[in-house]
Amino acid sequence: MTTTRSGEDQHGLVDQAATQLAEGSIGRREFIRFATLLGMAAGVAYTRAGLAAPQMAAPTLPFPAVSAEAKRGGVLRIGQRVTRMIDPALYNWLEMSNQTRPICEFLTLVGTDNVVRPMLLESWLPAPDLKVWTLNVRKGVMWHNGEELTADHVAWNIRRWSDPTLGSSNLGCSTFAALTEYVQAPNSKAKPIRRPLANGVEVLDRYTVQLNLAHAVLSVPEDFGEYGAIVVHPSFVAPFSDRPIGTGPYTLAELRVGEHCILKRVTRMSDGREFRYWGGEVYLDEIRFYDYDLQNQPAALASGSIDALFELTIEQIELARSIPGARILTVPAAQTVCCRMQVDVKPFDDIRVRRAVVLASDNAVIKRLVFGDHGAVGGNFHVAPVHPEYFPLPPPTRDVAAARRLLMEAGYANGIDLTITVGNTDGPWMQAVCEALRNQVKDAGINLAVDVVPESKYQEIWNKVPFGASSWGHRPLGTMVLSQAFRTGASWNESHFSSPEFDAALSEAEATLDIAQRREKMQTVERLLRDAAVMIQPLWRPVFSLASSRVNGYAAHPARQIHLNKVWLS
Amino acid sequence: MVKLLLRRLLQTLLIMLTVSALLFSIFDTDQFRKRIAVAELGSYGVATLSDVDYQAWLEHRGLEQPYLARYAAWLQGIARGDFGRSTEKDVAVSTLLKESLGHTAVLTLFVFLIMVPVSLGLGVLAGMREGSNGDRVISFLAVFSTSIPQVATASFLTVILALGLRWVPAKSAMDDGWSFRQLVLPLLTVLIYDIGYFVRMTRAAMIDVMGSPYIRTAVLKGLPYRRVILTHALRNALIVPVTLLCLELNGLLSQVVVVEVFFQYRGFGRMLFDAANFGDTQVIQAATLVAVCVAVGSQLLSDVAYGYLNPRLRAP
Repeated sequence: MTTTRSGEDQHGLVDQAATQLAEGSIGRREFIRFATLLGMAAGVAYTRAGLAAPQMAAPTLPFPAVSAEAKRGGVLRIGQRVTRMIDPALYNWLEMSNQTRPICEFLTLVGTDNVVRPMLLESWLPAPDLKVWTLNVRKGVMWHNGEELTADHVAWNIRRWSDPTLGSSNLGCSTFAALTEYVQAPNSKAKPIRRPLANGVEVLDRYTVQLNLAHAVLSVPEDFGEYGAIVVHPSFVAPFSDRPIGTGPYTLAELRVGEHCILKRVTRMSDGREFRYWGGEVYLDEIRFYDYDLQNQPAALASGSIDALFELTIEQIELARSIPGARILTVPAAQTVCCRMQVDVKPFDDIRVRRAVVLASDNAVIKRLVFGDHGAVGGNFHVAPVHPEYFPLPPPTRDVAAARRLLMEAGYANGIDLTITVGNTDGPWMQAVCEALRNQVKDAGINLAVDVVPESKYQEIWNKVPFGASSWGHRPLGTMVLSQAFRTGASWNESHFSSPEFDAALSEAEATLDIAQRREKMQTVERLLRDAAVMIQPLWRPVFSLASSRVNGYAAHPARQIHLNKVWLS
Repeated sequence: MVKLLLRRLLQTLLIMLTVSALLFSIFDTDQFRKRIAVAELGSYGVATLSDVDYQAWLEHRGLEQPYLARYAAWLQGIARGDFGRSTEKDVAVSTLLKESLGHTAVLTLFVFLIMVPVSLGLGVLAGMREGSNGDRVISFLAVFSTSIPQVATASFLTVILALGLRWVPAKSAMDDGWSFRQLVLPLLTVLIYDIGYFVRMTRAAMIDVMGSPYIRTAVLKGLPYRRVILTHALRNALIVPVTLLCLELNGLLSQVVVVEVFFQYRGFGRMLFDAANFGDTQVIQAATLVAVCVAVGSQLLSDVAYGYLNPRLRAP
């Protein structure tokens, strides 16, 4: 079946954006993101933007180009926590996805440049209202059992990700949430229950799937690249590790949780035919994940036990610099801590209290204290400079006098005692942020106690504590996390923020394809959220990683994904 | 002797029953059920479930059965030798226990092989002549080594021996099979603390004995000093340290948590740490039983050793 590879024929929007690019009202990177969103191949988009496209392995492949000297063979040893692999749709650790990624693949791939490219899809096409999306499945992709990947397989997976009874974190993503609806149970007294849309996922033919979403969603391609959206064969039965069938170049040879996970090349399919990977040449013979806790990874690399690691923390940078033959890798990301206040819980139900806390804090100082020159200052509205639709509001300014005044008006003339709970779910730097915050707000008469709880404890209570410091991972688009965490009634709305005005503005921004107009709309969205004083969101931290210099093509990824299909050893 | 053994056995069973019942009642709370849900689905996954669907998940997972039914089923399993299955590691708990206890046993064996002769020897040497230069040096080193926390020792040793001099690997995961070089750092970390401790204990016991009248008598009688020490003093001086050494068997089981987690050595301590973090109930239960066994067992061993070394306790 032939489909248009880009949306320009339908919408003329790419041309419109190209005009804006020429006029200078949008930047080149934004143009690329916009054009790829509409289904234009990233390489083509880069060219139209007049930028040298990152070298790709082939125009139709989502992988970066590989040097001509690349050699086949070798075993790559990666240090990360080795976790169980039960059900990819229920994965709750990035490490689980990393272990699975060389075996089972995703519909799309978000690159280290934060641009989304089709992977198991060949292309996608949204209708202008962004409610109907046509997904064209890549042809010639083979499962390890000898079957070809079809639209039925893809639809089966998407339906599963949208099953409200499963407990999959995918359901927090806008796309899959928009494939469900709330229905009233037969005994009408009960709360409405969430069920899948009757006709949300439609198979049009062998290679075409159509999504009929309940409302407009902008981030469909990006949601397909989230860590839990792993495409498994419909014959899947948990645990995945017992019978892993994928489309990737590797398969699971041995898994010992807490010890190692060994992946080997697939050479033959289970019907005996030769397995040809759709993504072209793959270099490593074997991938081994060795279990090392985050704090132990650099030392293990220094003594040669591993060749690369999952993540380097800010405290380990100095140690990493002293390791001979190791390269520090870094990439800017929208990874952050969100010190959010529940707007319906005393005393935070009084906006003057929330405003006072925000006014008494100084984001720039916190960022410098904790991350030095790395990272970027946050603006308390949870959209990052790396996001294409980021509208730069003026940075927040500290005003202790105003904070005191607000507290007095709210009836706390003698100061107020507050507690912030932190579980260091993204590392000890989060506690450092809270402690810096405690010292700053003291000047305004706010006695902030920092309650440090174990990580596993915080994960149980993250959306229950009145004032908590939660870590939020990178999302490629700014609207994604706003939809997931601040829209009324969203699954991950930990602050209980609910504003019809904000919801409407966000929906409008999400439904606006025109990039310049969308950014203009984001100004309203960001302002509404910031002015509601829901959070202190002081910084965006970069992602660091570390690899031995003999590992080529290994890169830090903003969402901490490890892509190994084009990695080779010299 | 038989009476003592029987009494201890009964004691063990009673402690095990009490502890496991207590643990089970902790695991039976709503809070702990939430913990299991978060461990298995993730905090973001659980947050997508409505109340109805959350309840359905708990029931599907078998967590809503009554306390007594689950406890009885678990006891029956134990009686058959079935310790259950680890949810985190997805293997039988018995396999996990066997491997991790094996690793810790190897570490413990080497610790004892080196610690016993070194600490008893040095302790006796120091205590023999209280206040001599030799005693001062040994005592200082012993106090020094016991005053550093193990985490600090582990970090120092890593920086100096592994990252600086590059003599041994920094971590002890033994990814590519058994390696004595990888055992060096955890071994040294445990040894540095333990040797210091036992030198001090032995020295104190030795000083005590050396001041007793029967030693003075032996010396005045004109016996050679060597014989006084070896036949008269040593035996009595060793009663306390040997008893303590037996109890140390149990102490090591909890000590190794720090060392094993730091060096990623796959022993019992690390297994327990992982299980506690994950909320892996079956593993925690089984590990507790083992810990009780070791505690009571080492107590018994020290009783026997004490009885053997101390003639006053022997039956007439």
